[in-house]
Amino acid sequence: MKITIETTNGTTTAHLEGRLDTPASTEVTPYFDQLQEHADGTVILDCTELSYIASSGLRLFLALRKVSMAKGGKVIVKNINDGIRQVFMMTGFLNMFEIQ
Amino acid sequence: MNKAFAFVRGKLSVKVSLWVVFFAAIIFNIALGWFFYQARDAVRSEAVSRATQILDKTSLRVEGILNRVEVASNMTKWLVLRHPNKADSMFVYSRGMLENNPDFYNTSIAFEPYHFKERGRYFSAYTRHIGDSIRTTQGGSESYQYFYMDWYLMPKLLDKPCWTEPYIDFDVATNTSEMVTSYCQSIKDEEGKVIGVINTSLSLNWLSQTISAVKPYPNSYSIMIGRGGTYFVHPDSTKITCQSIFTQTMEHEDTAMVALGHAMQRGEEGMKHMTVNGTDSYVFYKPLGQTGCSMAIVCPESDIFGGFDRLRRTVTIIIAVGLLLMLFFFIRIITSELKPLRRLAKEAETIASGRFDVQMPDFQRVDEIGQLSHSFAGMQQSLVKYIEELKDTTSQKASIERDLQVASSIQMGMLPEKFPTRDDRDDVQLFASLTPAKEVGGDLFDFYFRDEKLFFCIGDVSGKGVPASLFMAVTRSTFRTVSAHESMPDRIVTIMNRTIADMNKNHMFVTLFVGVLDLPTGRLHYCNAGHDAPLLVGDGVGELPCDANIPVGFMPTWKYTLQEAHIFTGTTIFLFTDGLTEAEDANHAQFQMERVNDVAENALANHQHEPRQIIERMTDAVHQFVGDAEQSDDLTMMAIQYIKQQDEEVRMRKSIVLPNDVKVVPQLTDFVTEVCETMGFDDMDTMKMNVAIEEAVVNVMNYAYPAGEHGDVTVEAVTNGMRLKFTIIDSGKPFDPTVQAAVDTTLSASERPIGGLGIHLVRQIMDSINYERINGLNVLTLRKKLNNNSI
Repeated sequence: MKITIETTNGTTTAHLEGRLDTPASTEVTPYFDQLQEHADGTVILDCTELSYIASSGLRLFLALRKVSMAKGGKVIVKNINDGIRQVFMMTGFLNMFEIQ
Repeated sequence: MNKAFAFVRGKLSVKVSLWVVFFAAIIFNIALGWFFYQARDAVRSEAVSRATQILDKTSLRVEGILNRVEVASNMTKWLVLRHPNKADSMFVYSRGMLENNPDFYNTSIAFEPYHFKERGRYFSAYTRHIGDSIRTTQGGSESYQYFYMDWYLMPKLLDKPCWTEPYIDFDVATNTSEMVTSYCQSIKDEEGKVIGVINTSLSLNWLSQTISAVKPYPNSYSIMIGRGGTYFVHPDSTKITCQSIFTQTMEHEDTAMVALGHAMQRGEEGMKHMTVNGTDSYVFYKPLGQTGCSMAIVCPESDIFGGFDRLRRTVTIIIAVGLLLMLFFFIRIITSELKPLRRLAKEAETIASGRFDVQMPDFQRVDEIGQLSHSFAGMQQSLVKYIEELKDTTSQKASIERDLQVASSIQMGMLPEKFPTRDDRDDVQLFASLTPAKEVGGDLFDFYFRDEKLFFCIGDVSGKGVPASLFMAVTRSTFRTVSAHESMPDRIVTIMNRTIADMNKNHMFVTLFVGVLDLPTGRLHYCNAGHDAPLLVGDGVGELPCDANIPVGFMPTWKYTLQEAHIFTGTTIFLFTDGLTEAEDANHAQFQMERVNDVAENALANHQHEPRQIIERMTDAVHQFVGDAEQSDDLTMMAIQYIKQQDEEVRMRKSIVLPNDVKVVPQLTDFVTEVCETMGFDDMDTMKMNVAIEEAVVNVMNYAYPAGEHGDVTVEAVTNGMRLKFTIIDSGKPFDPTVQAAVDTTLSASERPIGGLGIHLVRQIMDSINYERINGLNVLTLRKKLNNNSI
């Protein structure tokens, strides 16, 4: 699992790459803590290279979303594949995030 | 006739009047009957004494006449003997006798032939009345040789005076004849030689008139008969001397007449009641002195009782008319007296038709009718009041009944309505029925499927009706709530008991049987809280062994025990409430367990032990037993048949053993991906299957073992081509991940809890997730039905 974060014009974009399974989620938790610091603005989670997500990954997404809402920010999820889209659907995440 | 009876029955006035008149008629009848009977007796004895008197008088008179005849004859004889030789004197004597006795018919003093030589052979001084004058002639001649006549010969031969039988006296001079009877006595000279005969005659006609002149009754008549019974006196003059009293009896047998004749001939005196010439008559008879004659007075009964009968007829008519008038007036009077009653009846009818506001008439009377009218008015007022009250009560009752009906349908709505059959499922089929004794009842049953388990319960709340139904509703919802998080029946019942006992202020309780049937394996876990033990109908019929647990609701601290049994394919679990065993017939005999067993055995013998069949058989048997008796208790039955076929062909079996560390997830991913490749899944399905298994395994790894403790987790994948099954086994502490609350995916991000998503995803992706604790191992089974190499 690899994660790259870049910030331009107040918009923070995280490029997620690989499988976000249970051990990977533990691994990337610091990155998400970092993202939460930018949660007052727009945070884009670019999932173009994300092939898999488990519930632990979803928890990270949800935690970020909660902080962002509290700070008046915005979380955009970009380019999820069909498998992840189905997981989002099963969990109701499609309604909670702005999906692009 | 029937109409007349109906009319009388319908009219009280006519009925009462008829009775009164009827009794009056009876009294009159008896009184008058007695009176008439007595009066008739009096009239008869009066008639007898009167007729006897008249008869005596007449007989005295006749005897007087006859005596006079005899005396006159004796006097003349004396005169004759004084001057026996003076022929001319005889004319004087003869004439003198008739002159002194104008009622004699004739008299003659006849002498022996040549008694007076100078007068020749015949000399008879004959005197008789011709009109008012008396004519005396010499009566003998060649043509009338008197000394050969009966009247002349009889006294001579008998040598004593005698009365002749009647004979016809023919008078040559006037050429007239007359029926007479004569008193004849011979005249003897001093030497005792008969020199002549004195004949004194009485006209029978005159005698008859004399006797008949006295009549006690208008139609009565007298008769006189001689020694031989010949009539001397009779109203029919043709019979006189020609017929005797016996003549008619020759033609028509008449013993009474013969007896009368003989009695009269014997000179008896008396009275006879007999029929004379076809008329009922009284005959009074008496002999006439020494003449040998007897006279009788015949009095027709109709004459004697004529007046009496007229009187009786008149009185009868008066009474009959009187009774009719009485009937008429009674009917009128009673009808008019009953008029208020008729009016009351009419008003009552109006009231009966539902109009209670009718003004009741006030009759201003103090008699019974007045009282009735008064009571009736009172009754009307009470009726109006009661009807109002009744209306209120009825509407209240109707409202309660409506509520009860709604409650009933709500209660029935709580119960599962759709029962899975062989067509719906390949592992279990189920049927249940609940018949409350009242609108709502205290019995309950419930079942539902969670994961690959059938959760079911049956219960019976103490008591009946609304309280029991409320308690039942609480019990049922508690069951649902608790069993959503607990898979072990003992835990479910224990928690339910704690919850219910805490809020049970009315000391109610419920007997409960809770079972959880693991559908893939047929393993049944159950807990019985004081309920009837269910029957197992499979290889025979037997009770499921049950521990003695107390019913739910008594003691919040009670620890309920868990029991376990294996249900074989084809076996039906038959659960019921005591409404079945205690169903009562009209004689309060109970259905009892023996009959339940019999019906179950019979059903099994006939291969009719599928849930619906066995319940229908049981229902029929109970109905037949109970008959028309009222259902005494709620009756609930539930039957569950396990039908899963276990012999599945295994097409693939792979397994992996992992330590309980989430870091090994990539190994798991490789294993799952390999399985999916074998199954021929595409990337999407492979990813979903990976998500599901990873979540399940991570859950076990995180919770089954205490932190820091090491253990293994075995993951096995098996398929038969129809299904893919993952079994996750660990030896950690008992942990059931399936009891987690469901995730509400509709909540907004801020409301969503962070956790709980893992098992939610497993449930979403797999068809079933099933937890079992077997032999100290946690066994979690995930199943997915296959559809042409995809899920």
